[in-house]
Amino acid sequence: MRLVGAELIGSREILPGQWLQSYHAPALATGSRAGQFVHVRTGDLSGLVLRRPFSINTADQATGTITIHFRTIGRGTEWFTHLRPGDTIDMLGPLGRPFEVDARSRHLLLVAGGLGMAGVRYLADEAIRDGRQVTLLFGAASARDVYPTSLLPDEIEYVVATDDGTMGHHGFVTELVTDYEGWADQAFACGPEPMLRALARQAVGRRDRLGVAKLGRKRGAGKAVPPGSPAARRKAFLQVSMEQRMGCAVGACLGCVVMTTSGTPQRVCREGPVFASEEIDWEGGWGR
Amino acid sequence: MRAKRRVVTAGTAAPTPRRTPTVRKLKSAFVPVRPRSSSATTVAPATPDGADSSSTWVDLSVDLGRGLVLPNPILVASGTFGYGIEYADVVDVDRLGAICCKGTTLRPRIGNPTPRVTETPGGMLNSIGLQNPGVDAVVEKYAATWAGWRVPVIVNVAGESVGDYVEVVRRLDGVPGIAGIELNISCPNVGRGGLQFAIDADAAAGVTAAVRRATDLPLLVKLSPNVADVRPIARAIADAGADALTAINTLSGIAVGPTRERPLLGNVYGGLSGPAIKPVALRIVYEVCQVVRIPVVAIGGVTVLADVLDYLAVGAVAVQVGTAIFADPTLPVRLVDEVAEACRARGLGSYRPLIGTALPKKASAPSSKGVEYRP
Repeated sequence: MRLVGAELIGSREILPGQWLQSYHAPALATGSRAGQFVHVRTGDLSGLVLRRPFSINTADQATGTITIHFRTIGRGTEWFTHLRPGDTIDMLGPLGRPFEVDARSRHLLLVAGGLGMAGVRYLADEAIRDGRQVTLLFGAASARDVYPTSLLPDEIEYVVATDDGTMGHHGFVTELVTDYEGWADQAFACGPEPMLRALARQAVGRRDRLGVAKLGRKRGAGKAVPPGSPAARRKAFLQVSMEQRMGCAVGACLGCVVMTTSGTPQRVCREGPVFASEEIDWEGGWGR
Repeated sequence: MRAKRRVVTAGTAAPTPRRTPTVRKLKSAFVPVRPRSSSATTVAPATPDGADSSSTWVDLSVDLGRGLVLPNPILVASGTFGYGIEYADVVDVDRLGAICCKGTTLRPRIGNPTPRVTETPGGMLNSIGLQNPGVDAVVEKYAATWAGWRVPVIVNVAGESVGDYVEVVRRLDGVPGIAGIELNISCPNVGRGGLQFAIDADAAAGVTAAVRRATDLPLLVKLSPNVADVRPIARAIADAGADALTAINTLSGIAVGPTRERPLLGNVYGGLSGPAIKPVALRIVYEVCQVVRIPVVAIGGVTVLADVLDYLAVGAVAVQVGTAIFADPTLPVRLVDEVAEACRARGLGSYRPLIGTALPKKASAPSSKGVEYRP
């Protein structure tokens, strides 16, 4: 974790209300992994007292740049769109724990809903660099919100679902998963919570339905892996990147927690944002 | 006069301290004034050498009573700095005046449902609900780390009953690394978070006295702004044996969700903090400082040096920085340098002359009309 000044290089509105900005921040570009995020300070506007967390959308070590992808939903995100190339902003990062890909996984299924693309986009780059095959399932409200193919690597298979049927599959992105769950060795998802909850439900029944051998049965089968550890996540079929309203983003304020099956709330900023789907208590049992 | 060899006299011995050292740990009391630009890289000399450079050294030490001497008057507020280790990557914690850790209860608490935080104009609402692993886990996990730090760590203690508070404090008493206790009798986010103690003078005095009997640790008590008149409560707490007061905790508030179907926070109610509450906090510090003789630590919306000076002017001896840390984790350390610089600019060798300059010359009589506030 570092505090760095990041200089804006490019900024454009890739979709209505959605922006892609690239920043020169070599420390973040080299030190980060897919799934991590940065906590960015807004300008000195009266009234904005919190930083804004953004997933690291892509990171290019050669040029020392990272990109962030966000939707303008308020005064804070609006402020970022007014920045000009050359402006420097204050970033804290990289934060959180990354996606854990099992070394033996050849086929990765990425599932993104809307702005959840920002959460898994970097993983697509990393997986291709490591020679894995990637299928990216993307769900959006309608064709105008579909992430442009030109911004994705050529090597991935990109499948789109829209709620209104204006492009690709007519329906939810989760309905596409059944076609790929047998092919995929691991799945990684980011998006609205109902989508993640549906995916988690599908993942639970997957082994019995498909008769898939569980990865990691031979080596270390008898070893107990503490839940929540990177090793445990690496073995999980589905990993999800969670979203929560955030305060400090370093684990101090306990604002951004999600309830886990162990009964202890875990911090999205510190233990997350990536969790194995079976770690999360999807019914949100707060014991009340 | 010729003294025997072994007898130590004023003439032969090393200079005796001016008063018996009642301090538990003597922290370095002097903070070198450094230009802001080079503050990150300059290494301060260990001691002031000679009279020439002595003008650049400003005494920022604060005595909060019972031997709790802070190296400087900038503390970090409970709940915004975790247990001190979270920000250790980007902040030099040893340069802080003190760290108030996250509210600690007897048993582990899972806290409130999410969402727990939201930004509001000029501030934020939080409703964490005192999530913490319990006092035993806190001592086990963090006390050893704290003992290795120069910065004093003040443990914020919350509870549901007097018995809870006393038991937590007993378990903290005598643990190396714990420099003091801050009694949180004013958490607004928990149904039984002890708020009942902060809104009644007798109850507040009762819990303070009970804790006072249980420990010799320096004891701060955090006041709630969610009362009509804070002065009788502050006086009762001071009389019950608190070493210092902290003012103020968050103001109770709510936010509405984006769909307007229900309040936004999982717990409905949250505590408002940030620059938005500074005028309220200033008023309470101003009032409290006129009715108690123990030190008052101010908290509420400190974001720049001017805020620190404002709080000092109305009588606070130190300030806690809270919400502003989220935006700028390095702010508290920078404020330490800036306070020293401000003193030097005024030709002061200590920051103490800045305290209480805006207080009335004679303490105003408490209002006889109940909730009326006199400027």
